[in-house]
Amino acid sequence: MTQIEPEADPRRIAEEARDRVRFEEEVLELADQVYRVARRLVGSKEEAEDLVQETYARAFRSWRSFTPGTNLRAWLFRILTNLNIDRGRRQQRTPDTQPIEEGDYFLYNRLEETAPEEDTERIVERLSQDSVVYALSAVPHDFRDVIVLVDIGDFSYQDAAQILDIPIGTVMSRLHRGRRILKRELAEEAVAER
Amino acid sequence: MSYDPCLKCEEVIQPFLDRELTEAERNEAETHLDGCGYCRKRYRFEVSLRRFVRQAWDEPMPPDLKQRLAALRTPLF
Repeated sequence: MTQIEPEADPRRIAEEARDRVRFEEEVLELADQVYRVARRLVGSKEEAEDLVQETYARAFRSWRSFTPGTNLRAWLFRILTNLNIDRGRRQQRTPDTQPIEEGDYFLYNRLEETAPEEDTERIVERLSQDSVVYALSAVPHDFRDVIVLVDIGDFSYQDAAQILDIPIGTVMSRLHRGRRILKRELAEEAVAER
Repeated sequence: MSYDPCLKCEEVIQPFLDRELTEAERNEAETHLDGCGYCRKRYRFEVSLRRFVRQAWDEPMPPDLKQRLAALRTPLF
C-alpha cells in the first residue's frame, strides 16, 4: 500500500502527542492508589487532595523524564513523596537511635493479658478503627512514609527504597521501628480504653 | 547467647508477611510456625491485625478528584 509520507516534523509531533496521551491515561488510572497513599501521608482529606493534584500537575509537566518500560507507579509515587517532603512538613529529622524495647509480639501479649481465652482472630476486634488511624498519625514521618508505601501502596522494599531514595537497609529498619511504634501506640490506646 | 527460635521467628514475622524473605528463610519460619503454638497464635494475630489496619486506613478517592486531575492534562491543540 502506498502512503504519502508526511513531513518528518508533523509525524514526530503526532507521535509525541500519542505517547503523551497514552502516558497521561496510564497515570490517571493510578489516581485511586495515589490518593489512598497520599491520604495516610498527610493529616487531612483536603491536604491529600492538594498533594495529589500537585503530583499530577508535575507528572503531566515532566512526562518526558519518564523512561517508557520502567516502573511508572514507582516514578509517580516518587513525585508524590518528594512533593510531600518539599511541603516543609518536616524540618527535623527523626533520630534513628531512640531505643524501642518492645518486640513484635508486644501488642498481642498486651491484649492477651486482659482476656487470655479469647480467639486469636477476635483479639484484634478490641481495637477501634479510629485508634488505628490515630496511631499512624503518631508515628514520625520518616517511618510513616515507609509503612504507608509498603502496607497501603503494596510496594516491595526495593521499590520503597527507590521511591524515597534511601538504601534498602534503611527501609527495613524504618519499617521495623515504625511498626513497633505503631503497636506501642495501639497498646496504649487499647489499655486506656478499658 | 543461646539461639532462641521463637525470638528469631518474632524478628522475621514482618518480612515474612511482606513476602520479602528468601526461600530458605521462609522455609525455616514455616517449619517453626508448624511446630510452635506460641508463635502460630501470634502469627495469626499479625495476619488479622494487618487486615484490620488496612481497612481502617483505606479511604477511597473522592469521586470528583479524578475529573479535576484529568483537567490538568495538557490540551492536545
